[in-house]
Amino acid sequence: MSSVTSARGAALFGARDAVGAAGVAMAATFLAFGAAVREAGLSPGWALVACWAIYGMPGQLVLVQAASTGFVGGIAPAVMGAIAVNARFLPMAIAITPLFGVAERKRLIPAIPFIAVTPWAAAMRAFPEIAASVRLSWFLGFGLTSWVVAGLAALAGFFVAGMLDDHARAALLFVNPLYYALLLAADVNKPGPRRAIFCGSAAAGLTFISPSSMGLLAAGIIGGTIAFLWGRARGGR
Amino acid sequence: MEAADIALALTAIACLLLRSTGVWLAGGFGGDHPVIAWATAIAQATLAAFVTLAITAPTGALANVPLAARLCGLGVGVMVCLTFGRNLLPALVVGLVAMLALRALLAG
Repeated sequence: MSSVTSARGAALFGARDAVGAAGVAMAATFLAFGAAVREAGLSPGWALVACWAIYGMPGQLVLVQAASTGFVGGIAPAVMGAIAVNARFLPMAIAITPLFGVAERKRLIPAIPFIAVTPWAAAMRAFPEIAASVRLSWFLGFGLTSWVVAGLAALAGFFVAGMLDDHARAALLFVNPLYYALLLAADVNKPGPRRAIFCGSAAAGLTFISPSSMGLLAAGIIGGTIAFLWGRARGGR
Repeated sequence: MEAADIALALTAIACLLLRSTGVWLAGGFGGDHPVIAWATAIAQATLAAFVTLAITAPTGALANVPLAARLCGLGVGVMVCLTFGRNLLPALVVGLVAMLALRALLAG
């Protein structure tokens, strides 16, 4: 990949990478999401806009769950919950921005909607192999392709909802965490990610003692901070 | 405008702001700045916590799959990934098949 120096070539590589394991995981998850949207009594247009405008599955699911109960607790708690579970976008955006090697921040505007777990994790894995000058193109190719896959899968899920029994839905829902686990495992030989994986997994228990919408964020902040400080104590290795 | 549409619009705007704020904040730092390392650790830890919860304490349809089957799928997938050159797609397929096979065995 480091031999690719044209923006177009990098974008095509990004698109190709997005239809591999990432595409399978994305399609499976959004298929299940589309089915859930239909069961909540929402429209296919709502499913599509949720995929493309939020592009963060936990937050999307919070809204669908609230819609299925008719927003009995009100709109504000549902929105706050969705924002809290998707708050990881902030550290992800901070972490990935310097890796683009782009001095002018406005050049990154097209990439902003694609900063989500799947493109972020794939980019963190792929960027060391990609020339800095074409990383943005790779990311746009990957992100746009993932977006299209997610939207089409959600629509498909909406229209085949009646055909998916609990077993099929469970299998689809398993693909997403498995894919993220594999992405993390692929980095386990590096000390920094290894520490973050260990501390994040250990901190997951915090979700049982904190409000449900804030639990994941709390686990990430506490686990990540401990991992960061641990790395500093070991001289940044 | 329906409640679901309002909730969707507000959440979408907030998510865009979160991403934009991150890009804006990071613009002043170099790639080796401690703030970047800290943010990276938080993002990776959040992902690890998400995976841990999704496998050990899932909600919805996945909660009906026995824990042993979920752990088996995860373990086999990770093992295949680490053994065969960190190739994600075969590991994903084998892990899923392992989970389904053990679930069928336990149910049968």
